[in-house]
Amino acid sequence: MVIGYKPGTTADRRRPHFIRTPEEADQLVLDSACITNLSGYLVSEGLLSDEKAVAIFLKPDGIRSINILAAEAQLNIDQILILGFDINDNQVTALEGEKVEEFATLIESIKEQAPDALKNPLLEKIEGMTPKERFTFWQKEFSRCIKCYACRQACPMCYCRRCIVDCNQPQWVNTSSHTLGNFEWNIVRAFHLSGRCVGCGNCDRACPVNIPLRLINAKMAQEVLGSFDHFAGMSHTQEPVLASFKKDDSETFIL
Amino acid sequence: MTRILQSDNLDKCVARWREAGLTVIGPVKNESSSSYAAVEKAAEFDFSLIMPDRSIKELFFPQTEPMLQYTIKKQRIDTSDFTPPPEKRIIFGARPCDASGLAIDDPLFGWDYKDNFWFQRRDTTVIVTIACTKADDFCMCTSLKLVPDSTKGSDVLLRPLQNNKGWQVEELTDRGRDAFNEIADLLQDGSEPAAPTAVVAEKFNLDTCVAWLQKPENFESTFWREISMRCIGCASCTFLCPTCHCFDFQDEGDTYSGIRRKNWDSCSFALFTMHTSGHNPRATQSARWRQRIMHKFNYFPGKFNVNSCSGCGRCSRQCPVDMGITETLQAISTLQP
Repeated sequence: MVIGYKPGTTADRRRPHFIRTPEEADQLVLDSACITNLSGYLVSEGLLSDEKAVAIFLKPDGIRSINILAAEAQLNIDQILILGFDINDNQVTALEGEKVEEFATLIESIKEQAPDALKNPLLEKIEGMTPKERFTFWQKEFSRCIKCYACRQACPMCYCRRCIVDCNQPQWVNTSSHTLGNFEWNIVRAFHLSGRCVGCGNCDRACPVNIPLRLINAKMAQEVLGSFDHFAGMSHTQEPVLASFKKDDSETFIL
Repeated sequence: MTRILQSDNLDKCVARWREAGLTVIGPVKNESSSSYAAVEKAAEFDFSLIMPDRSIKELFFPQTEPMLQYTIKKQRIDTSDFTPPPEKRIIFGARPCDASGLAIDDPLFGWDYKDNFWFQRRDTTVIVTIACTKADDFCMCTSLKLVPDSTKGSDVLLRPLQNNKGWQVEELTDRGRDAFNEIADLLQDGSEPAAPTAVVAEKFNLDTCVAWLQKPENFESTFWREISMRCIGCASCTFLCPTCHCFDFQDEGDTYSGIRRKNWDSCSFALFTMHTSGHNPRATQSARWRQRIMHKFNYFPGKFNVNSCSGCGRCSRQCPVDMGITETLQAISTLQP
């Protein structure tokens, strides 16, 4: 199987597409509108269970997702053939390599640029706010949340077969989309993505009410980079930042 | 001669309705999202939107709504009901597909049990619909046998004038007439022609699709798996849909007191049909997508004689993976019956 893109409803839209025969290859397109990170499909139920190889079109962010999914034991990298590409100034360029390890140098260079790349004027504005102002900002943004969970479903890292908000015996997290419920959901997700988000933007684009989710995830990425020198998706053996422990840790507490 | 409401007079109308105790609601866009929201002045309306991102449904069937409060005491359990706020409202500038969606859901909410949360709001809300003069690639009302100037579900229909300076007024119900009597002196007689309604191409033949869906052998067709392979299982389509109406009950509180709430739920979610045993009769996403299509175009019309879709196209317009009812029914209409 090859996972790629095909034309969508309108000229600027692309759809994820799955092909199984060489004849179907004509259905695929690759251009600067192919921005969705497709890696989440690899962990959909049953897709890799026949142990056959799957080829998948991925930008560098998607390639980093493969590393994380492998590091978290969600897939076997030997099964994944990467058709790597990048988009710069609306131009698509092919990336050298097929196996995820072959992109290590590329990812290293992305990490070096990360402190600048993660900067965002709105994020800086929010950081300059008082805690009360910041709370008000997010309360307003989250007030639109309808708990459709499009952010979760679009995210390659949200692969849990049963999300914490779906654990209902008892119901740990309110399902209601009132102020408390919306804060609970969005903050739970932000923590679970800390050190795991590659900033692909799938969640942000999927949100039907346009909550700026990228800001939360970019902030958490800055935090783990600054505090732990951790950049998500460096390699398929990278220890998850929130699931690793050192005996000589300088802190006296955990979280 | 027809009665005309000039745009310049709208602000006075809004003020008049507000003085009469009505909450005035209409299409509003803020920096990042649009919805039907309460306004204080006509300038807050945005009639340039094809339609707000969020459907009109949430004004009648909110995403979360308290139903009752309970307190468990030593000898007894006290409960008290919540009722919707008794405010009177006027929605100015509903889209015909949104207003139709409400009419489609009326029989559902009044079927074996009369849902007062729905009907109290329906009974106290005047719906003033503006006919569409433009459409986008996702609009599909005509495929659902509706039109861009449909009166279904509306109390008043307004047709934009060709000179873009107001609307022709067509009162449809007593509720609509009462609301417009409040502003009768702000209306004029005129002969200004209405702008042509939007041209919405028919995207699929509904009858062909319904015939295919009604054939029992097509329930197990491999078509469902193919068409829904890229569905990520979120509820964007169902929650933005003006007619999707499924909900769940949740008790929020501690052992001794809390609130029972009615929250939107979606057939897209795996949890929607999960049994306590762990068995899920709709175990795959394709079974869930099939349910959504079957419900709208087979089961719902079987029971209420109307399709549970008004053709707004939000499901496709907002889908993170560019799926939706249009694509599925277009594909079905090409299959052998």
